[in-house]
Amino acid sequence: MALTSKRRTASVVVVAGTALALALTGCSKSADDSGGSSPTGGAAGNSAAAQQVQSTGSSGDSCTYTTYGADKIDLKNVTVGFSQSESTSNPFRATETQSITDEAKAQGIKLIQRNANANVQQQNTDIQDMIAQGAKVLIVAPENSDGLAPAFAQAKAKKIPILTIDRTVNGSACSDFIGFIGSDFAGQAKIAAQDMAKALPDGGNIAILQGTSGNNVAEARTDGFTKEIAASSPNLKVVASQTANFDQATGQKVMEQILQSNPDIKGVYAENDTMALGAIQAIKAAGKTPGKDIQVIGIDGTEDAVKDVAAGVMFSDVETNPRFGPLAFQALTDFYSDKGTPTNIIIADHHFTKDNAQEALDNGDVY
Amino acid sequence: MTDVAVRPTPAVLDRNRVVTWLQDYGVYAAIAVLIAINTAIKPSFFSMDNFRVQAFQVVPVLIVALGMALVITTEGIDLSVGAVIALSSAVIPLYLGYGPWLSIVIALVAGCVSGLLAGLMVAVANVQPIIATLALMIGVRGFAVILNGASAKSVTDETIGALGLDSWFGIPQEVWIAVVIVLVVAFVVRRTAFGRRLTAIGDNRAASALAGLPVKRVLVAVYIISGLLAAIAGVFLVGHGGYADPSNYGLNYELSAITAVVVGGTPLTGGRIKVLGTVAGAVFMQLVAATLIQNNVKNSYSQMVEAVIIIGAVYAARGRSGR
Amino acid sequence: MHALIGENGAGKSTLIKVMTGVYEPDEGEVRLRGEEVAFASPLAAQEAGISTIYQEVNLVPMMSVARNLFLGREPRRYGLIDSTRMKREARDILRDYGVHVNPARPLRSLGLGAQQMVAIARAVQIDARVVIMDEPTSSLEAREVETLFGVIRRLRDQGIAIVYVSHRLDELYQVCDRVTVMRDGAVVRVDDMSAVDRITLVSLMLGREIGDVRTHGATGFADAEHQVKGAPVVAARNLQRRHQLDGVSVEIRPGEVVGLGGLLGSGRSETAKAIMGALPLDGGSVEVGGTTTRRTVAASIRAGVVMLPEDRKAEGIVPSLSVRENIVLAALPRITRAGLVDRAKQDEIVDYFMKRLRIKASSPDQRVSELSGGNQQKVLLARCLCLDPKALLLDEPTRGIDVGAKAEVQGVINELAEQGLGVLLISSELDELIEGSDRVVVLKDGRVVGELTGDDVSQDTLMTTLAEAPPEPDLGAPGAPEPDTTEEERHD
Repeated sequence: MALTSKRRTASVVVVAGTALALALTGCSKSADDSGGSSPTGGAAGNSAAAQQVQSTGSSGDSCTYTTYGADKIDLKNVTVGFSQSESTSNPFRATETQSITDEAKAQGIKLIQRNANANVQQQNTDIQDMIAQGAKVLIVAPENSDGLAPAFAQAKAKKIPILTIDRTVNGSACSDFIGFIGSDFAGQAKIAAQDMAKALPDGGNIAILQGTSGNNVAEARTDGFTKEIAASSPNLKVVASQTANFDQATGQKVMEQILQSNPDIKGVYAENDTMALGAIQAIKAAGKTPGKDIQVIGIDGTEDAVKDVAAGVMFSDVETNPRFGPLAFQALTDFYSDKGTPTNIIIADHHFTKDNAQEALDNGDVY
Repeated sequence: MTDVAVRPTPAVLDRNRVVTWLQDYGVYAAIAVLIAINTAIKPSFFSMDNFRVQAFQVVPVLIVALGMALVITTEGIDLSVGAVIALSSAVIPLYLGYGPWLSIVIALVAGCVSGLLAGLMVAVANVQPIIATLALMIGVRGFAVILNGASAKSVTDETIGALGLDSWFGIPQEVWIAVVIVLVVAFVVRRTAFGRRLTAIGDNRAASALAGLPVKRVLVAVYIISGLLAAIAGVFLVGHGGYADPSNYGLNYELSAITAVVVGGTPLTGGRIKVLGTVAGAVFMQLVAATLIQNNVKNSYSQMVEAVIIIGAVYAARGRSGR
Repeated sequence: MHALIGENGAGKSTLIKVMTGVYEPDEGEVRLRGEEVAFASPLAAQEAGISTIYQEVNLVPMMSVARNLFLGREPRRYGLIDSTRMKREARDILRDYGVHVNPARPLRSLGLGAQQMVAIARAVQIDARVVIMDEPTSSLEAREVETLFGVIRRLRDQGIAIVYVSHRLDELYQVCDRVTVMRDGAVVRVDDMSAVDRITLVSLMLGREIGDVRTHGATGFADAEHQVKGAPVVAARNLQRRHQLDGVSVEIRPGEVVGLGGLLGSGRSETAKAIMGALPLDGGSVEVGGTTTRRTVAASIRAGVVMLPEDRKAEGIVPSLSVRENIVLAALPRITRAGLVDRAKQDEIVDYFMKRLRIKASSPDQRVSELSGGNQQKVLLARCLCLDPKALLLDEPTRGIDVGAKAEVQGVINELAEQGLGVLLISSELDELIEGSDRVVVLKDGRVVGELTGDDVSQDTLMTTLAEAPPEPDLGAPGAPEPDTTEEERHD
């Protein structure tokens, strides 16, 4: 009797759950009838927007499979694993994943992938899972610089090379991992700081919306910005510097508070675009005009933000190019040749201002 | 009492009295102190404009916290509220084509269904609340992300936007609705048979069962209410932010709500509920956040301050029940 | 061996707390072996050799019996707990207390009686010179009580002083040498136990004259038999539940008090709960007023059956609710319109029952947990009675309440029966069971082993019936007694 009642309960729960799922997906109808959500990775394959190498460090820093201590393999014959760190609801992540997937397909390479949804423990598990699944080479977009040691150690023990992209990890190149491809975050921040100086020639109070505390990208973007301001724009004063976790809703909340405590603020530097969008929402709600009363500068170059730049709502936006596919697979190919791959590939990021934003949008160069 | 009468020593008495007072009125006093300090630092803090900003930010947490308080009263906990917020936000853009009100109704129904699942697991299948709602917390968010196609969608509908941004008579629409919800919850707790059963079940489930109370029905209802309130919070968040992002909406809301409940003086052991205290708890935590951000205190310090407050609140609660 | 008695609220517990360092006295002194002492904490008192056993068992239910016994002073070897030795010693110690269990078992898997024994054994092990026992026998079976008394006498012979608090007068006369009677926070008499007879003792506690007590009778039940009329209001047939009930049938007719006799674990409470629909059954049926009810508590209440549960704290009161809310808890459906509690109706009910049962509370708003045990019990009785029942199942209605409240509760039961209610009475106190019941159904090991009617309703016949009942030979079969009892009895 107890058993049957338990079974009945279980089936009730299952039925109710299924009903919920069916009911919600059954006859949805979104507001824009123009074909639903456009996958933001659409511009991933655009050749004009492809990553360009800006610098590769000193010429001696070259890594091959022999110096790394890995076995020679042909990429076409093995499985490559890709570990994405964060949810693809962020356009940057969506485009990055799309680019890697597209390039693997174009080269006929078998790719498996996992998404850790901003959970570094999950990413450790993801990497270990892919190794267990037979991945012989890994491309990892690390969640942070310290937390992945266990997975990296396991890969190293099994002589599985790892290429890190978009964020760095601690360790030595060509030993713990092959190398790094990505943006110069401090450099991006420097450009943003110079833009801020241009946007506010008469100086004024400014606020910084920081990324997640302890994140190395956030730190580099804060340091790069504040150093440049201190060095060349003495009339700009950072009066508020608060974290908003790279999140739009949090960016909005924090900006609402800052506007209360510092109503005289003239400029906002957001360390990514989603926070910038949140800040714009907050500025509008406070009855001020972004682009006129308050200048907003962001980083990442996502479509929504670049549209705002074109419309004069945002002053400028520094791109973080997420189209890692071609460069990443090129680096792996070089790694398995005698030529070797540089261990520190810094990409040249676009810089969107009112002058070029509309053009970039029209050309589909924005993700 | 006669000559052998004994009383606890005066020192003990005083401490108990202080603890009791802190339990009952500490939150309100703390709110007053925070407002005073902030106004002293910057007189503009005491302005309608600033209060409106704080109200917009606190209302979603407050609404979720009320549902949480009801669940906690039954000796339960609802970790799925953050995920329900995500679900509700995911549903809105999906059905906006049918008009804002229908999409809101569907979002609320979705919240109720999630609550129903939690309630059935807890009441009928006897799964521990923390486990049942933890499962939902993961599952419902995943489902919400799938529904929404894994990317944030902007929601520009005017009705929903107004809910999250506009005011009636100078006070945000959200706040009016929240006031109604608070009154309804307070009324239900104090005056209805349901409220009475809720506390009785949380206080002594065995006795309630033997007194013939519909324990299962009450439990299921409580989780449904919690789901519904979380869904309402989700609608407000979409309105305020102007977009729906199931991956990030409602993250950590379960913790904020539990904090508000605890700071408000509702014991985690169940059997007692403080509706106004919960409101005050949410407002207090909001003011703490506002104080820290507006005075540009570093995030790491802010987290420590919040931790200290929670420990203080729990200590006060323990001090009382330990008597 | 010193007895400490008094009604609830007489100041016994407070006195104990002063002696053990929980409270500090405002005035006066505590002397231990002639020296004035002041304990800052219960721990200090314990270190000085005063150990206390409270009514509720204060042990760690999930830990093993052995760990509980040695908690804080485990035998060690190489710095680690020597669990082999601990278990061996635990087994030896507990054998002296008549508890034959595997010391590795978690404590909570033991019966309440066995748990109490472990608590006593633990208290005595801590090199005690004074042992204070606060109602140690309230959850023990008669046989366990005997064992305990054996232990107590042995302790006394070893020169350990024992303060014994109990409501059971029989026990006091059995083991105690001297007695202190307290009333209203003051000592009213200190004397040799043998110098005070029962009636004197009761009158001292109550502060009434001997004549009063006599006319009220020892239990508060009138001797007259009740007018039993009509068809059974409750008919339980062949109730079956694995390990607990093996075909119990009981009928209760209007105006009749049916006693349910038997030892601890014989299935008395289970029978009551089964009738109430609070215990899932493997078989059997319950008819109320001739129709079979749905097997839920709510359905039973609607049909007119109510129950006063055995464990007041765990299953009865809702501690943080008020007296008022506790009284009307089960009656909510009757006083609710459109989900709202009708306050006028509620107050009317609460008023009436607080007066009728003479519930002493500062106001109906007082939290029920602040009331004395007797008044809590009356609140629960009010909860039952305001449902306007046809049948009342009373499981230990007077356990742990003071003599005055006890007599009142018994009087009410009597009155109810006279008004035509059917009553099922479960009581471990023979006097109460015998004097209160018109008929006694005797249970043993989940089975009806006899029924006493008319003049046969007496202490002697009940005990003979219990003694005569054949032992259960097949321990593995369904209907065998609870595992704990089994294990303990096997070693007898």
